[in-house]
Amino acid sequence: METITDQNWLLSVGTFLPLVGVLVMMVIPRAEEQLHKLVTIVASGATLAVGIYTATQFDFDRANAMQFYVNEEWIEVIRSNYALGLDGISMPLYLLSMVITFLVAIYTWDNMPEAGNPKAFGILMLVLQVGLAGTFVAQDLVLFFVFFEVVLLPMYFMIGVWGGAQRQYASLKFFLYTMFGSALMLVSILALFFQTGGESFGFLHFLDVAGTLDRDVQVWIFAGFFVGFAVKVPMFPFHTWLPDAHTEAPTQGSVILAAIMLKLGTYGFVRIAIPFLPNGAREWAPVIGILAVIGIIYGALGCLAQTDMKRLIAFSSVAHMGFTMLGISTLTEFGINAAIFGMVAHGLITGMLFFVAGSVKHRYHTLEISRLGGLLVSMPRLGWILGFCAMASLGLPGLAGFWGEFPAILSAYQPGFGLSEELYRVLMVIAAVGTVFAAGYLLWLYQRTAFGEPKAEFAQPVHSVSAAVNQEHDHDDHHVELHDVNRIEWIAWTPILVAIVALGIYPKLLFDITDPAVSDLVARLGEHLQP
Amino acid sequence: MTGLITSLIAQSGEWQAPTIDWHAIAPELVLIVGINLVLFIDLWIDESRKWAMATLTGIVLLAAFVPTVTLAVTGDDVRSMFDERYVIDNYALVLKALFLLVGYVVVLMSQTQLEEGGYYQGEFYVLMLASVLGMVMMTSSRDLVSMFVALELLSVPAYMLAAWRKRDGRSNEAGVKYYLLGVFASGVMLYGMSLIFGTTGSTKLVDIARSLGEGDLIAIQVLGVTFVIIGFAFKISAVPFHTWAPDTYEGAPTPVTAFLSVASKAAGFVAISSLVFIAFPAADEVYQPLLWVLSALTMTIGNLIALRQTNMVRMLAYSSVSQGGFILMPLAVAGSGDAAEPALKAVVVYLLIYAFTNLGAFAVVIAAARKTPSGSISSFGGLFVYAPGLTVLMTIFLASLAGVPPLGGWFAKFGAFRAVLEADTNAGYALAVVGAVNTVIATAYYMKVMRVMWMADVPDGDITPVVTPAPVQAARAITAAGTLALGVLPSLVVRFGDIADLSGALGR
Amino acid sequence: MLGATGWFLDNAWLIPIIPGVAFALIILIGKRLPMQGSELGVASMAASLVLSVGAAYQWIQRVDDAGGHSEAGTLGLIAGFGRSLTAAQEEGAAYVQPVIRSWTWWESGGASFGYGQHIDGLAVMMLFLVAFISLLVQIYSLEYVRGDRRYTHFFAAITLFSAGMLVMVLGENMIQVILGWEIMGLCSFLLIGHWWEDEANSTAALKAFLTVRVGDIGLLVGTSVLFFGANDWTQENLGTSGFSIQGLSAWALSGEASETVLLWGAVALFIACIGKSGQFPLHTWLPDAMAGPTPVSSLLHSSTMVVAGVFLVARLYPVFWEAFSIPDVSVNFIVVIAGITIVISALLAFVQDDIKKVLAYSTVSQLGYMMLGLGAGAWLPAVFHIFTHAFFKCCLFLCAGSVSHSGSHHSFDMKRDMGGLAKKMPITAGAWIVATLALAGVFPLSGFFSKDEIIDNVGHNGYEVFMYIALFGAFLTAGYMTRATYLTFFGEPRGAAAGERHEEHKDLHAPAFAMAGAHGDAQGSPDTAPAEDDPADPLLHGGDAAAGEARDVADPGEAMVGPVGADRHDAHGHDAHGPHESPKLILIPVCILAFFALTAGFTNAVAFGEDWEQFKEYVEPIAEASDLEAAGAAPRASDLEAAGAASVRSGSSILNDASSHSVSSPAPVQEEGGEEEHASGCGYTAPEEGGICFFPAVSHAEFEWSKAALSLIVVGIGLVGSWFVCVALYSKRSRSLVGLTQRLAPARWGYNFLWNKYYLDHLYEQRIIRSIAHPIARGANWVNQNVIDGVVNGLGIGGRKTGGWVYRNIDQRVVDGAVNASGAAAGGTGHALQPVQSGKVNQYGALLFGAAAVFAIVLVIVNV
Repeated sequence: METITDQNWLLSVGTFLPLVGVLVMMVIPRAEEQLHKLVTIVASGATLAVGIYTATQFDFDRANAMQFYVNEEWIEVIRSNYALGLDGISMPLYLLSMVITFLVAIYTWDNMPEAGNPKAFGILMLVLQVGLAGTFVAQDLVLFFVFFEVVLLPMYFMIGVWGGAQRQYASLKFFLYTMFGSALMLVSILALFFQTGGESFGFLHFLDVAGTLDRDVQVWIFAGFFVGFAVKVPMFPFHTWLPDAHTEAPTQGSVILAAIMLKLGTYGFVRIAIPFLPNGAREWAPVIGILAVIGIIYGALGCLAQTDMKRLIAFSSVAHMGFTMLGISTLTEFGINAAIFGMVAHGLITGMLFFVAGSVKHRYHTLEISRLGGLLVSMPRLGWILGFCAMASLGLPGLAGFWGEFPAILSAYQPGFGLSEELYRVLMVIAAVGTVFAAGYLLWLYQRTAFGEPKAEFAQPVHSVSAAVNQEHDHDDHHVELHDVNRIEWIAWTPILVAIVALGIYPKLLFDITDPAVSDLVARLGEHLQP
Repeated sequence: MTGLITSLIAQSGEWQAPTIDWHAIAPELVLIVGINLVLFIDLWIDESRKWAMATLTGIVLLAAFVPTVTLAVTGDDVRSMFDERYVIDNYALVLKALFLLVGYVVVLMSQTQLEEGGYYQGEFYVLMLASVLGMVMMTSSRDLVSMFVALELLSVPAYMLAAWRKRDGRSNEAGVKYYLLGVFASGVMLYGMSLIFGTTGSTKLVDIARSLGEGDLIAIQVLGVTFVIIGFAFKISAVPFHTWAPDTYEGAPTPVTAFLSVASKAAGFVAISSLVFIAFPAADEVYQPLLWVLSALTMTIGNLIALRQTNMVRMLAYSSVSQGGFILMPLAVAGSGDAAEPALKAVVVYLLIYAFTNLGAFAVVIAAARKTPSGSISSFGGLFVYAPGLTVLMTIFLASLAGVPPLGGWFAKFGAFRAVLEADTNAGYALAVVGAVNTVIATAYYMKVMRVMWMADVPDGDITPVVTPAPVQAARAITAAGTLALGVLPSLVVRFGDIADLSGALGR
Repeated sequence: MLGATGWFLDNAWLIPIIPGVAFALIILIGKRLPMQGSELGVASMAASLVLSVGAAYQWIQRVDDAGGHSEAGTLGLIAGFGRSLTAAQEEGAAYVQPVIRSWTWWESGGASFGYGQHIDGLAVMMLFLVAFISLLVQIYSLEYVRGDRRYTHFFAAITLFSAGMLVMVLGENMIQVILGWEIMGLCSFLLIGHWWEDEANSTAALKAFLTVRVGDIGLLVGTSVLFFGANDWTQENLGTSGFSIQGLSAWALSGEASETVLLWGAVALFIACIGKSGQFPLHTWLPDAMAGPTPVSSLLHSSTMVVAGVFLVARLYPVFWEAFSIPDVSVNFIVVIAGITIVISALLAFVQDDIKKVLAYSTVSQLGYMMLGLGAGAWLPAVFHIFTHAFFKCCLFLCAGSVSHSGSHHSFDMKRDMGGLAKKMPITAGAWIVATLALAGVFPLSGFFSKDEIIDNVGHNGYEVFMYIALFGAFLTAGYMTRATYLTFFGEPRGAAAGERHEEHKDLHAPAFAMAGAHGDAQGSPDTAPAEDDPADPLLHGGDAAAGEARDVADPGEAMVGPVGADRHDAHGHDAHGPHESPKLILIPVCILAFFALTAGFTNAVAFGEDWEQFKEYVEPIAEASDLEAAGAAPRASDLEAAGAASVRSGSSILNDASSHSVSSPAPVQEEGGEEEHASGCGYTAPEEGGICFFPAVSHAEFEWSKAALSLIVVGIGLVGSWFVCVALYSKRSRSLVGLTQRLAPARWGYNFLWNKYYLDHLYEQRIIRSIAHPIARGANWVNQNVIDGVVNGLGIGGRKTGGWVYRNIDQRVVDGAVNASGAAAGGTGHALQPVQSGKVNQYGALLFGAAAVFAIVLVIVNV
């Protein structure tokens, strides 16, 4: 894989810039709440600006090359380097993380969770951003692992401190689950390191020596990575932390979790597990595919059984990531492209759904589906946005969701590298059935929450938008004060909504970036596969 | 036998005074002088000025630090004395530095405690300096006898320190228990040493290695090796020889607990690695399985018990037990192939990082002590509300112990795993998996504490901020800085681990 | 100018774009416009209409030129009827290249997903149809939904709806088809659930979307299957991806396609069509879809949505042709489904009291005809039937709307609120009757020419059995339409039709009629009202909607709660004075449609001979193998002129006999002569090397008055018979008939069976959906919470438990023992030493030595 080293300071800046914000906030006294929120917004905004500049400097014609590649000595004794790089696969997710964090920061301006203390909240959010962005650009296994883990603590506290009633159980569960995965992953990382001669932890090195390993060794090492990443994705049956975490997490937490953190796992598969261990991947692919499809159906069924809006959305993530994993498991360009698109699309759509859920909670102080209803009457705009997201989420062509879903199904018809076609065609059909379920639970949710008349307890004259704007500054209104989408929310949401439509109408935006890198990846896979 | 005796007689025949390399033993000398200084000044100074003792002790320790550094910078040529029975190599220097630093931090932590507790201060510092002296000697000892002397020198004062809160029954009990079991362990160890001496005809590690290397081991030698190692296993409170630790740790004054759980444990490891790498390379079939079992048991049992603890210090005690298991991990494969060198490095690095992190944790506990007299974990509830700084620090230390990047602990664990995997033996992989699982278990109880501090409510509702005396703050600062720096830029510490080549080890 | 193209053809892709943009505008600024955005909708549809007429006109020219006609089609298809034209088909006209332009939408894994247009006869016909009907419907809606609280949303959705259909119609590839397909699904959801305050409506919307979505599984799977089956071939031969419509057609006919792939693909796609076009067994959503406003129903049922499925089959005809080997068999998947659909839905139409539901079931059965035609190789008549059916069905719905709007106080219940309206609203009645006759297929109305052709060709292509089924269907059609007509416009005015206010009417109608009575209890019976079983669960309420929805739609007054609903009434306050004729905005579209219902048939009046067969000439592609260069060039649309020219050149070269035959059928020796001669044409044998077929050579039955007479007689019997029954039943109330269904067991049984819609809804909602939504989903959730999570939590708890156990029994057992022991020991000794005395230390020591010993022994044994 060729590397381009121009302007290779960009990634470091883009990754660590939030820390500046953290330092600033450390010196600001805790009482300056609005100031803290402002700093958070500015810091994440600056980061995003750097990210956008990076995008402008990105050479899209060579999206398969590692660009802005920096490779400095870090821990020479274990031959681990400080290596960052950006290619067509990392690019979308790298930017996504920045965008989402920025929007979440904006959203926090007047939707601070109950527990208060914007100082700590903002700091955690920025640290989280560092970890996320770093994971997507790290080009060294040890560095990757470090970033991968950095994410844990902030999210743990975000859920645990600002979360709902069950927050402590949920956060601990989240942490231990992931820790379990990473522990085994660490073993795999080291095993891989030594089995390949213990020369370097660099991704590029592993790409070169990939496939030299004995097949059985690969299978074992892959197992470790599999657990590590499958927990993050999350794949059935490692998913049970997700509903709890999402349900209890504050809106901001849920959004970041759904939009970016879940992608760490899938990204890990695409970037590390599969290319480094071609044979292991081929042996494992059927397992992944089957689990993915089980996840699709299972998640959908789970959704149908939920009574809590947020929990339902959380379960839907299990189903959607199932499509992504199915695409990955085909080991074809089609599938992996679809998977990456699916990651971004799911990030935007589900993130948006959680935003909406958060705003509903903020107004109704409940997410019990049975108590909601008539959103379209009491808050038309919010209701329509919810509908829009539901439609996008169930894979309506013309919106982003479809391009992650349909190509994934398509790719399953013809898996790569001699994977059993019979199996995958069966999976394809089941996955297609899954789309119906998706439509089922989402529309059912929509019918129960948005249609009909508002329930008696919440029935009241609708506020005009102007009224809503006036109320921007009451933070936690415990009186049931139903105002429609307010200005801050519009600012935070519009970009996502636009992106959903834009990607849906013009998927080229994304596929053009990912395709070269992915096709290289698959080609290399072909070369390294032992018969 | 007769040959042996005659040789001994012959040796005693031509006796000439050994040449002393004064620079090489400067640290020890400084400490000796310091001990006497403190002792005498303490006699003359009146109660109101006792606080000066602490300062003086600190100065002594730092003074001892100076020659260590100079030794380090004046080229790494190995200086040895007494017929290579007392060696100052980089390995020794790094660890000397470590012990001195730990001693200094402990002094910082104990000062206020003693003042408030109204305990004897001068004596305390004398004993501590003596103990540190023993540790410093331990790092250089390359002979069973000198090792034993060093061990007793560092242990005996520790027994007394453990019982320092003399008005407190638990403290006395702790001290006595520690003392008695220590004696038992020493007995076992001495027995082992005698067996080894008897079968190899030497107390010098290098010679022992040589004669053990000739032909297969005989049962006596196996017994000897086993007993010696077990003797030190007691010091590092490896399961099942850990029983004294929790009671002692809980009973002893917190600074002493910190001292024991870090310094004396480290000393034990120093001894074991000297033995394993210099004396027993040939006996790897003996010590490897032994240490493997000890390591696995120590990690697992320590963790499982720690899960149940409700008392902060006791929890930290068991956690330090399980940490010991992790440090043992690389030693358990020290004999297999090219794993030896990384194993040695892993141990040294782990000791350094662990020292910072664990001391830090205790420093926080001491700082919060005023708010948490009961010492129960629940009494730390809501610490985040009234002492965010402390909470963040404690979080850092605990996360580091749990091995969460980018804090020091993760790199220590990383090194340990790396070593066992590099051995590339089934035993190694098995141990790695055991370790991996244990990391998760460990995380559980560290998380429990964090959860309480961050998310629980303040038990008594009193949220007046905590003010901690300057020395303790300094201690916190040092440890925190160390923990963070070592995590983000492990190269720093690894350089020590790197140069810490144990002369005579691995046949060099 | 050979193979003439033109601006309209090249830029036909604009046609869906315009309403698409209009939709966006309406959403964004609609509310601020003087007419609240409706003007945008209407304008955009008008623009699309203009463009599509232009396209149609240029297409006709193109065909004429390609076929070497002297005079170009001047009037275009619309006014094409009755135009005597000297079709110079003697020299075999060639396959006319469709105007294909495509742009790469996105690429992935080497395959490029295009976006473009595929304009041929079928496309232009549909474009015109959709644009035209949509325009009329929107004009109609201006009046009909005036004052609706979501007036703007309504127009936005309905505009997007048309856009979706247009996208699909000119789709160049399957992806685009899916796009349009799903957009329509979305809009149908929005429009059917337009009055979502009422749960029944939103449930109906949900049902429609989900049912169609079930079919869409087939669409996704089928597309995938065909793509991978065809991609290599198309890339190689046409330079297009395996999604391209043209590519798929050519591949299917190339003879190189694998049988199984074709079969699977076709079956999957047809399942999608079953869902979309309301074929048995997925037709159940269509009647419920009546919950939407009437204009929606008319649009949905005439030219968009439901014909999408039929269109897809017609569009990818070669695939189905080959997959089901249509020419060689006498029964296949398609015709069976179609046959069943025709009959069962026609029967259902007899027991409906809701006028819109009668029309709904009639649509289902007419769609059955189209499918039957396609399945039986009668491509042209089927497509023609799409064309004619659109006019009269749309007309019927608009009439029904007009009736409820001005005649029956927003009620659609023929038995309660209609009757005798012919006098009150003559124009509506007239239009209705014309459309009814057209639907029944009475000569010379449009329905006759299309339906009779289908029946005729089905028989001619060897599907005799289904020909008789179709005839029976025609009989039924005549029957139920007569019933509906009678109940609505003749006999005694009832309820609102009699000028009574809806409310007070409710109580006095109760025991009025036997059937109404039956209706009553059937409705009450749990079969149709599952709502009682689990009110908490809307997913199950489809049945409720089906049964109860007669109520709900019957009086939107209820559906439209709030003041706005009232406004809507005032907008045309007829409540005070009874039924009256509708305003112009409603009548004009109705009349235009009636006019077309009357005349559209002449555009392909086979009965009058060659010259009248405009459709065959312009819409049906000529099954002519053109050579690769031409074909290859075409999809790239680099230079359409050249493509057209090339295709013509090839036209005279290969397979002349087949083509000349397939195009013109002069010889009366047609009946079975067809197959043999065709046996060498496109779709029968693979094209020769270098040749490439885009369309199978479908055969055409020779029109014979004898056969036509047969069907006409059947229809006549249906009309007259039904008329007398109605008179006897509803006006004369003859003893023998009234309450027959109560007295006669078989009749009652049959009636209930019909009334419960063959219990299909019951099956779907009670059995399938309920079981998924309840036992299964809950089971899964239970597994999640208890099994999987249980394992996780179990591990945690287990760990803590183990810890506890170890702590107590191994670590601290000694302690407890110690404390007791120490108590005893404490007696004699000094307190200072008490801890020392305590057993604890002994225990610890014992442990220490013991362990040391064990280790030693083991190690010695191992090592020595």
